[in-house]
Amino acid sequence: MNYIELYLAVEPDFADILVAELAQIGFESFTEEPDGIRAYIPEPEFDDALLAQLLTRYAELTTLRYQTTRIEAQNWNETWEQSYEAINVADRCLVRASFHPPAGQEFEVDIVINPKMSFGTGHHETTALMLEHQLDLDLAGKRVLDVGSGTGILAIMAAKRGASLVRAFDIEEWAATNALENVALNDCAQVVSIRQGTLETEPPAEYDLVLANINRNILLADMAGYARFLAPGGQLLVSGFYETDLPDITQAAIVAGLRPGLVKTKNGWVAARFEK
Amino acid sequence: MAKEIGGYVKLQVKGGQANPSPPIGPALGSKGLNIMEFCKQFNARTQDKAGTILPVLITYYKDKSFEFVIKTPPAPILLLEAAKLKLGSAQPNLLKVGSVTWDQVRTIAETKMPDLNCFTVESAMKMVAGTARSMGITVTGAKPF
Repeated sequence: MNYIELYLAVEPDFADILVAELAQIGFESFTEEPDGIRAYIPEPEFDDALLAQLLTRYAELTTLRYQTTRIEAQNWNETWEQSYEAINVADRCLVRASFHPPAGQEFEVDIVINPKMSFGTGHHETTALMLEHQLDLDLAGKRVLDVGSGTGILAIMAAKRGASLVRAFDIEEWAATNALENVALNDCAQVVSIRQGTLETEPPAEYDLVLANINRNILLADMAGYARFLAPGGQLLVSGFYETDLPDITQAAIVAGLRPGLVKTKNGWVAARFEK
Repeated sequence: MAKEIGGYVKLQVKGGQANPSPPIGPALGSKGLNIMEFCKQFNARTQDKAGTILPVLITYYKDKSFEFVIKTPPAPILLLEAAKLKLGSAQPNLLKVGSVTWDQVRTIAETKMPDLNCFTVESAMKMVAGTARSMGITVTGAKPF
């Protein structure tokens, strides 16, 4: 997505105040500059008139000067993505980029991910834990739903472990596009379908496994939704939160009619299994 | 051996809402750091303050690893939350559109103490009250000092 950068020269006393005010009209993040601040907002949310109104108000109190610049969307993570290490998951699966050599015979599963600024390369504990859970389960012939799919890594793993149908979606368009590329790289387009969307726009259906590596707040809000997509006896795998948040997640799962199962942890991060 | 520091990046980001767009993307990406790793960690650590602006100081190392410290929200953010205002006053010195109590000012001052150069809560409270005035927010009740 394209962004608008606002450069605002302002006296130090008013820098934090204007950060607070700009946050109220949709600016997401800020940097401090020697003579003021820079503020960033997604282009579709930028309202020139609202900004002018706000800054006119403060121009009566202090001297300020500003200009806006459009920043084209691009893969900001490209430098890191050009040279990272492949990941060994439980000595059974290798997750690598297309610039790495293919996995050797010692690995059951070889997954190729060219991430392009999307979540899921196996480097993060939560991704690795979700992949480990999937290695534990018998997925042959199973129907799988991947919520917040990022690079598509978990959907691809499900397909490689024998799932018969995998549907995946991500709220971010660039992630859905990236996941499609990765599905093609791993030759699983016949099993895995990817779209941009949310749980609300997912057509009702029953799945044997639902995957959601997101964050605590979204998992808590959507737990009942995940349960609805599960067939009786179906499993839910959730991650993206710390051990301190596990009691809340477990409670929400129980309220949604799920039974707690195996929990895996790594460096304080959790991936937990629940069953309907 | 201690890791060699490559430098620092200072940002203010909404809790739970870090994404790889500017400024996080270019600021970290240009150093060769894994932006997605930062976003996942920052968002998980700030789920309790989702949507609130939080200053974050990132220390990155020559080996492309990094760590970061999340600070307390800026006083104006806390004042707007306390006054439940959508916007500050239209004409700050003429028309007061919101108010906070001295108790609320004390709470904000106490929250901010770790990040302010103040030796006493009273001096921090004076600083917070001054910021409120600049934003057109009235402080109500008996002045406690």
